[in-house]
Amino acid sequence: MIDAADLIRADALQAEYAGALDRRDMNGWLECFDSQGSYICTTLENVSQGLALPMMMDDCHQRLQDRVKFVSTVWAGTFEDYNTRHFVQRVSCLPAPGGLVTMTSNFLVTYTTAAGTAQILGSGVYEDEIVVGPGPLRFRSKKAILDAAIAPRYLVYPI
Amino acid sequence: MQNLASPPDLQWPRKLSEIPKAVFHREDVYEAELDRIFRGEEWHPLAHLAEIPAPGDYKTTHIGSSPVLVVHGSDGVVRTFENSCTHRGTQLATCPRGNAAKIECPYHRWNFSNTGELLGTPGRADFPKDFNPRDYALREVRSVIRSGLVFATYSATVPDIDEYLGSAAASVSQVLGEEPLELLGYQKVSFATNWKEYADNEGYHAPLLHSAFVMLRWKGGQGSQLMTDRAHKVIRTDLTVPPEGFLADHSLIDARDPNCSPQSVIVSLFPVTIILKHLDVISVRYAFPRSAHETEVHYAYFARADDSEELKRHRLRQSANLLGPSGLITLEDGAVFNRLHVGSRTSGSVEFQKGVTDAQAVPTDFSHTDEAGNLVRWEHYRKAMGFTR
Repeated sequence: MIDAADLIRADALQAEYAGALDRRDMNGWLECFDSQGSYICTTLENVSQGLALPMMMDDCHQRLQDRVKFVSTVWAGTFEDYNTRHFVQRVSCLPAPGGLVTMTSNFLVTYTTAAGTAQILGSGVYEDEIVVGPGPLRFRSKKAILDAAIAPRYLVYPI
Repeated sequence: MQNLASPPDLQWPRKLSEIPKAVFHREDVYEAELDRIFRGEEWHPLAHLAEIPAPGDYKTTHIGSSPVLVVHGSDGVVRTFENSCTHRGTQLATCPRGNAAKIECPYHRWNFSNTGELLGTPGRADFPKDFNPRDYALREVRSVIRSGLVFATYSATVPDIDEYLGSAAASVSQVLGEEPLELLGYQKVSFATNWKEYADNEGYHAPLLHSAFVMLRWKGGQGSQLMTDRAHKVIRTDLTVPPEGFLADHSLIDARDPNCSPQSVIVSLFPVTIILKHLDVISVRYAFPRSAHETEVHYAYFARADDSEELKRHRLRQSANLLGPSGLITLEDGAVFNRLHVGSRTSGSVEFQKGVTDAQAVPTDFSHTDEAGNLVRWEHYRKAMGFTR
């Protein structure tokens, strides 16, 4: 186990992450990662079949920056926008070598379209590595594994 | 030719460039398409050998709405079967891909070899005396392999695959190659659109819809577009290497395959499959009409089996981020598919313009940025559906 203070800080990071996405604040999303951070969004189908291809693959911090640019600049005004609500439930949080904490959490994400309909965007699990230091905690890596193989719509924002 | 019901009552416009919007919404049209096109005189790509590389491997998929099973048999032969028990019609395999020496129906435990023979039938002593297991082998669907891709058809009269693909065959071969591929994985998404709206993309929109082309100053060079007699389309565009500076990680858009020049080759096979190579991405987009209002697309991505680990990793990064449903270049397509379907729930026809020189004649020559090539597809569709002018 990690100590209670770090657990609170890890939960705060997860809440900060969910809040940034639900506000569609891509710079806030980027700030949740440390300078070596990475993000993968994939499906349980690919993972269970040993297939490395994800839905989104930001395997270095530059790629994270580019995802912010994709959403905020390249695609701006062309896609059908939507709001999300992220519901996250921690299921484990364990110390790991190198000053890291590994945290596993279930997630459920809903989305609301401009027309006002709300549906489930996806459920799944986050597998996170978190850097523990004196300042705010940050993700070294975040992997969102979607339960469904088929996304109900094209994903614009990270999960 | 199979016996078909009369075509839906729909008057087709006189002008070749006009398409009645009703075909994107009417349920009777959709049902007729399943019979006349998806069970009609077309070959449908179902799987690449890289998706079922070993004996016993199988993939479940669909031809239109009909569930089928592509199986790499223990004898090394790849066959396509209806995914349905020959007893009471229960769906046999349920997972997208798997490996099995035997395929068993859970309902009454009838079981089949992976080459299709009926092996076991519990309670057979009480079956009719003339029951012959050979009459109840898995129902095979006619199939053939070209460039590693398994094509299948319900039609007994469709031309053989080489004649069917025509001049598109060389491009299929160029994209997929004739040597083994390795499956990298899938991206699957549902679009709220009719399958024909999904399949109606063209070269006109590319630099206009996709901002990435402009922002990257990624100007396509020379290009070409050909349409075959069977309404398959091939668009080729030479790609210039964009200048560095826009992306923090420019390596994403590198062209690293030493065996080919930076190029985009998009093969759209009628009715609904796209096979493409763009930079170092090799992909087959299998699409499935789920209703008149929903189209599911499975983007499968591949590396060449003899790629270096470095090149394989590069293809993986590019495949994940460039040309899929959330891809840098292609995400906006999804928005247009959906918006087309909402907007076409209005009166009248849609009308093509770019490259249309004579609205009374099927065009034969196109620039790679024309949309007139789609008129060949629509004329093929109209005839297959039996719609008259």
